[in-house]
Amino acid sequence: MRIELKQMRHVYPTGDEALKGIDLLIDGVEPVAIIGQNGAGKTTIVKHFNGILRPTSGEVLINGESIEKRSTAQWSKEVGYVFQNPDDQLFLESVRKEFEFGPQQIGVPQKEIEERMAWVSKLVGLEDKLDMHPFDLTSTEKKFCTIGAVIMMDPKALIFDEPTCGQDVEGNIRLRKIIEELYTRGKLCITISHDMKFVVDNFRRVIVMCKGRVLLDGKTEDVFAQTEVLKESFVTPPPITKVAQGAGLKKTVFTTEAFIKVFEEERKK
Amino acid sequence: MSKVSNSFVPKHTVIEELNPMTKILAVFSLGLGTLIFPNSWLGLFVIVGLFGAAAAAKLFKEFVKIMFGFGIPITVMLIFIQGCYSPKNVTFIADLGFARLGLEGILYALKIISTLLVFLGTFYIMNKTTYTGKLVAALTNSGLPPKAGYLVLASLNVVPQMQRRMSIIQEAQSARGVETAGGMLARIKAYIPLLGPVVMSSLTDAQERGMTLETRGFGITGVKQTTYVEVKKSGLDKVLNILLILFFVVVLLITVLMKMNIL
Amino acid sequence: MGNIVLEVKDFSFKYRQTKRKALKNVSFQVEEGSFLCVIGANGSGKSTLCNALVGLIPHYFVGKMSGEIKVNGINVAESTIANLSSEIGLVFQNPFNQLSYTAGTVAEELAYGLGNRGVPREEMVEKVKYVAELMRIDHIIHKNPLELSGGQVQRVAFGSTFIMEPKILVLDECTTQLDPLGSEEIFDIVKKLNSKGITVIMVDHEMERVARCADQIMVLDAGEIIAIDEPKKIFGNPEIVKHHIGVPDYVKITQALREKGYTDCDIEVTEEPTIELVKEALGS
Repeated sequence: MRIELKQMRHVYPTGDEALKGIDLLIDGVEPVAIIGQNGAGKTTIVKHFNGILRPTSGEVLINGESIEKRSTAQWSKEVGYVFQNPDDQLFLESVRKEFEFGPQQIGVPQKEIEERMAWVSKLVGLEDKLDMHPFDLTSTEKKFCTIGAVIMMDPKALIFDEPTCGQDVEGNIRLRKIIEELYTRGKLCITISHDMKFVVDNFRRVIVMCKGRVLLDGKTEDVFAQTEVLKESFVTPPPITKVAQGAGLKKTVFTTEAFIKVFEEERKK
Repeated sequence: MSKVSNSFVPKHTVIEELNPMTKILAVFSLGLGTLIFPNSWLGLFVIVGLFGAAAAAKLFKEFVKIMFGFGIPITVMLIFIQGCYSPKNVTFIADLGFARLGLEGILYALKIISTLLVFLGTFYIMNKTTYTGKLVAALTNSGLPPKAGYLVLASLNVVPQMQRRMSIIQEAQSARGVETAGGMLARIKAYIPLLGPVVMSSLTDAQERGMTLETRGFGITGVKQTTYVEVKKSGLDKVLNILLILFFVVVLLITVLMKMNIL
Repeated sequence: MGNIVLEVKDFSFKYRQTKRKALKNVSFQVEEGSFLCVIGANGSGKSTLCNALVGLIPHYFVGKMSGEIKVNGINVAESTIANLSSEIGLVFQNPFNQLSYTAGTVAEELAYGLGNRGVPREEMVEKVKYVAELMRIDHIIHKNPLELSGGQVQRVAFGSTFIMEPKILVLDECTTQLDPLGSEEIFDIVKKLNSKGITVIMVDHEMERVARCADQIMVLDAGEIIAIDEPKKIFGNPEIVKHHIGVPDYVKITQALREKGYTDCDIEVTEEPTIELVKEALGS
């Protein structure tokens, strides 16, 4: 999967310039996180990846093809998009129908839909709730229902907008599993998140946005090592990283294990 | 983020600053005055005056559009129907071949047209120059129950709210392979599945909103509601109120006298 | 010991459409000026508790209720939601549904509750100005609330509850739409209000924040209270942590350091002391 942005700008009809000339290349299937303050342009940028928004100027290329060549519905085969609010997405009377809807729209044969249903429903933890009405699901389950409905379309890339919003401990564990599974199946995951713990636990590449520009883009540990630049974008590293930085440990760490390892190295000196 | 439609754009004119109750009074006083007056001359004068008022309210262009857009077709239609087929017709002024044009019918048509245009014009100016919040605040101050005021405001806000929701849901559905662009038929087909979530979520929202209002003190017993929107009654308002009432009384008097054949 | 401002006695509630009780025999008391955080998995009864405290249960949600809740001595079931609004205020999860939808501008939205209470206009204008500055929404005060972003609406929603000056503030995951910095700003305000004597009851998923803010933490699981205690006691007790709650990362670090014998201090639940502890352990 290859998503390429060239000098891409987006200006809203209100005249606000949300994106101010973005050059970006996402190549391969390694999960990518996009972080930054409210209004930094995170949602605006990802809405260009499946053509919900069109660039005001510049180019967006999906596997080399200009985004302008197809409608969003046509792009949905290539790029899936999970919206932040499940209530905007769910409208059918059962989880099963929600799962079938997308693939049916793009003409997937029924037999294949059934096959996908088996693993997707298990992956998102709704295998026992396929016949329930989405409105009777808990908020967590609703979210996983929308995620499942998009995975069912078997796109090559998936976009998640704030998937951890309102999730509890178990929800976060399940999200982690889903991202891993999609990676092993060769799907690209692009996720917007405010939750830095979730970001460092699941993503090896992080893009930091600030005021309509890409401020930092690189390996997770390199990005969070740049404390001064991060301050500029009002992003704070996750707690473990901050403690390590505050105590003067030289390396950027994200897990307790890594923390202890670095701690021991420095202590020996 | 999205811009919602709102009919009111502040232009800071004298008419905009007037108390909404003055404008409501104007609609009724001028409208009813024209209605009861025996001929269409008064209406014509009022309409000319309204063009002036529209100009003062910086609405002249839109006002011309709406008055002529409505006025010309309705005039042609009514003059044709009343002029040719009114049973009142006694004096005929022209022969169209298939029917004869009667003076009485034409005068009657002009009377209806002028009355309609006065109502339309005053209402249009009031609507365009009055912020709904201010209107409801004025009505609340003059004794409208808070619940009725809420209904007026909330129902006016339903449309932009639905529009907003609709556009989000439309995006979400197009990302699921529903073709929402293209020809008329494709779009209608695309809209049908969207109606479900819009109605459903509007219902759940409405429920949650109802309880929100109460947690914010809606329905506290034993107090008179106040409003943030300021409604002033200026000297001009008072003068206009007197003039408007006077206008109606004078028109009524003249009408009565004319009917009694004294004038 | 302060006054008891909130008293929940043997309270149970079951929604009409569900089989399971959302809350089971819940009893606790809250002292004036304290900061109580409520944690637990989704579906553990946190939101139900919030709804019950402000009177939405039983006045709005239908179901089977037993036990009683007293807010400042007022029995919630016998009062009305509107009349309770000067005692206790709730900031909802979904900020868009907290708007009155009758206001053309943010200022009117903020003032809405004051209007219901019959506050004179001059006083209203002053309060709106103060709250707008506090919530950092003074630059959008003349905008239509429907045109705002989620984060902005959340600030408006918070401001319009806070402006009512309730003695108890109930916050039900009220910053989900805000970025980390924005949430911190809001919680700094909440902390400031709390230090001025306002009682706060807060539901939140972020354990670092919970540990930093709370005097007391209540753990809910399947509608039952598992424990109410100080943050260190809650997060240091594996029996409690088992109930589907996370722990702050600081706890994990200090516990790991203890296990390896680098420190013999108690666990830490907030950032500053943890850094100090790590520095000390590094030096020794």
